[in-house]
Amino acid sequence: MRVVITAAACAMLAACGGQQTSQANNVQANVSNDSRPEQTASSNAVNGMVMLAVPSVSGAAAAKIMHQRHEGMETIGKDFKALHREFDSASPNLALVRTAAGQITGLSHEASGWFPAGTGPDVGKTAAKPEIWQDPKDFAAKLSAFQSAAAALNATTTHNDVGQMKARFADLGNACKACHDKYRSEEHH
Amino acid sequence: MQGLPRQVPLGGTPLSRQPQPVWDLPVRLVHWLLAALIAFSWWSVHNHHADWHIWSGCAVLTLLIFRLLWGFVGSSTARFSTFVRGPRGVRDYLRGSWRGIGHNPLGALSVLVLFGALGVQVALGLISEDEDGIYTGPLYRLVSSDTSDKARDLHALWFNVILGLIVLHVAAIIFYRMRGERLTIPMITGRAVLEPGTQPMRPGKWWAALICLAVGIGITRWIIAGAPPFGS
Repeated sequence: MRVVITAAACAMLAACGGQQTSQANNVQANVSNDSRPEQTASSNAVNGMVMLAVPSVSGAAAAKIMHQRHEGMETIGKDFKALHREFDSASPNLALVRTAAGQITGLSHEASGWFPAGTGPDVGKTAAKPEIWQDPKDFAAKLSAFQSAAAALNATTTHNDVGQMKARFADLGNACKACHDKYRSEEHH
Repeated sequence: MQGLPRQVPLGGTPLSRQPQPVWDLPVRLVHWLLAALIAFSWWSVHNHHADWHIWSGCAVLTLLIFRLLWGFVGSSTARFSTFVRGPRGVRDYLRGSWRGIGHNPLGALSVLVLFGALGVQVALGLISEDEDGIYTGPLYRLVSSDTSDKARDLHALWFNVILGLIVLHVAAIIFYRMRGERLTIPMITGRAVLEPGTQPMRPGKWWAALICLAVGIGITRWIIAGAPPFGS
């Protein structure tokens, strides 16, 4: 029933063109290439995947990391929104794009330290789902994909090819979504 | 004349007891499509399909524009001029002195409030951006990022108002059903048994419906393009 209705609704709007957000660039490719995290500290350091090596935290340390995580994600979100507006405009402000992409890339690396065990929803108010610590390998892979996608976007901003930037920006959005869909709960703020 | 059967039309039912047209096809389609799209919008946004959610909202916008226009040129029961009544009309209805088909004066208020609430919801959605800035309403660039974020929060809150109105709507239908009036079947078949002497619906023109639909789709496409001079 719902499918029929949706099809009808879509038919009404057919020919209206696709959403810019529907580019299905596959982040899985990144994931399979550069993120097979092993549980040793040295290989994690090499991968930038320190998350799994961070020991469990509690008390004030946990609260501090959760706060940093929240603020960091907020900043990444603000930068991403600013980028979206620039890339949708006829003449993107490339200085602003470079600043935002650079900041996201920097924070993406800080994010490796944002998810130690002991910072889940059982400890305090957070949108981080317990699944993060139930499937750490998959989570680490998605975090790594995010870091790669941010770095890839950042690299394109050294040139002036806006088309390239937009493509990498779409990849970055997919990396955000892949992780958030699975590991972020709806009830937060 | 005793013993003679009463004269009845072919089919065995008196003419006055045969279902007569009360709702035209466009009114019924808008009603059920809106119900389905509201459910789909809720489901999709809670299941990581923000893109489908936005398309669903655009379809709702098209239906609202269509229904607004059809309210001026549609069938007799579709027209605002025949069913929207002032406070006196509502008072008379509550006293039991209203006779007619289509929306009664109290139901007319419900129609206006529901469509108004949906209009607010669509307007908020058009300028919203999602939490991550990945998905955006087609008119999000008309406002700042902060405003888009606030609009999204209001959009989520406003859904509770719509839910409340839907609950009231369904409760009213159940209330009428308990008093012996079936409202759901006519909204599906378009027909109901009328009281003797009541005029059935005067249908609208099919080509007028097509024009209303074309305008609805046209305005929606213009909005999807980013409105005034197409975005930037």
